[in-house]
Amino acid sequence: MSDLTLETVDRSGAIAETFDELTAGTRADFFRKAVIGGTALTAALETPALAQPRNTAKDIAILRFDLNLEYLQAAMYGEAERLGQIGPRTLDWSRVVGANERGHVRAIRGLLGRDAVKSPSFNFRGVTEDDRLFTETAVAFEDLTAALLKTQAIQVDSRHVLAALASLHSVEARHAAWIRHIAGIVPSADAFDEPTSKAKVVRLVDSTNFVTSVPRTKGRRRPGYTG
Amino acid sequence: MRDARPTRRTGLRAALALAALMIAAAVAVVFVGGSSGSSSADPALPPPPRSALAPKNVPLGPTPAALWAPVLATTAARTGPAEPTVAAEVPARTPEGTTNIVLIVGQTERRAGKLWVEVRVPGTPDDVRGWMPRSALGGYTPVRTRLVVNRERLRATLLRDGRPVFRAAIGVGAPATPTPSGDFYIRNQLHKYRSPFYGPVAFGTTARSANASDWPAGGWVGIHGTDLPELIPGQVSAGCIRMTNRDILRLARSMRVGTPVTIR
Repeated sequence: MSDLTLETVDRSGAIAETFDELTAGTRADFFRKAVIGGTALTAALETPALAQPRNTAKDIAILRFDLNLEYLQAAMYGEAERLGQIGPRTLDWSRVVGANERGHVRAIRGLLGRDAVKSPSFNFRGVTEDDRLFTETAVAFEDLTAALLKTQAIQVDSRHVLAALASLHSVEARHAAWIRHIAGIVPSADAFDEPTSKAKVVRLVDSTNFVTSVPRTKGRRRPGYTG
Repeated sequence: MRDARPTRRTGLRAALALAALMIAAAVAVVFVGGSSGSSSADPALPPPPRSALAPKNVPLGPTPAALWAPVLATTAARTGPAEPTVAAEVPARTPEGTTNIVLIVGQTERRAGKLWVEVRVPGTPDDVRGWMPRSALGGYTPVRTRLVVNRERLRATLLRDGRPVFRAAIGVGAPATPTPSGDFYIRNQLHKYRSPFYGPVAFGTTARSANASDWPAGGWVGIHGTDLPELIPGQVSAGCIRMTNRDILRLARSMRVGTPVTIR
């Protein structure tokens, strides 16, 4: 089993369309390198999806992109919590942030309704089993998410999506500051945050190789069991 | 002088009453006016966008019955992290050509910069524990189900989060070819093959017949359907666990690869 590029994972083309929207680059160029990485939304959706205003194609693309990043983050925190291999202090904040990220997944899925995509498969390659690696990766993804949401906020069409992104953005920024503080990194070294470039998002996510193919555990070969 | 006192008192009372009225009026303006808004004075602002989100966290959910990981490359499971002694060879593929998997026991250790993970792998007569490099494994997948096979009662029970969700009568190994007992797991699922003998669906387990060398395919025990439903329940098989085709299709809807299997 090998790690996948976006082209291989995203059979429906949904993620690729998202990146096309966001990167304005050529699809072929992007397919060569892109893999999926991390963002966020805050809290769970209570209103049924059908009651939401209809999303534009661009907003769907943006929300799908966020959903994949939220899947990644929720899976990472959840796996660390299940394995219990990181230190108790790290586990404490990871539990809180993980519950937020799972809330984000539920919320974005609710916003997207039938347009929601399924979660990719992930391989965190030991990051969820190593305290230092886990903390550093969490900081990187929370920083990235907060920066990415700023970019998206000026791109969305609908006010209700903008409101959702804004409520996510502040929570992601708090995550980033909190984990940075715990890790001994200055939470706000500069007076202003810059929106992150799309290329940087793709590059960071690509570098993790966290998105993988689904293992082929089903087959059609005639069984050779004892009978 | 006597006439002037009531007049002065009356004036004082009137002044106090007027002051109290003014204070009351001022308080009313502050509180009532403040809460009702000054819509006539404000410019026409659009209402704030309705937030579709409510501040609600989502808990992790029940502890899974197991975590499994695919084997990325054929690797030896060692008796300890970086130990030279081999507990079991773990191929990347099963005999059925699917990706092989291991169960994650939970412990990890770093030795000389390399992360090692304790795993459960097929062994004889039972699964064995060993240590594999983390880099030889893919991502972890949680499973919520556990299958319990009772050879005496000839029943299989599937538990999800500890609660029974499926029960079925089964056929198990005949006295000469008994189904092995112990702790195992489901490592693949086969379907759409052409073999009425195995029914529409077959699950591969890590359990192995005691006479494994007699079987060209390795003597692995499967859980599958049958073209002889009249023999169920009973001790009828060469080691496999059989159930009616209706039941195996029902089981396939609920049981995922990686499910731990206890055979009693």
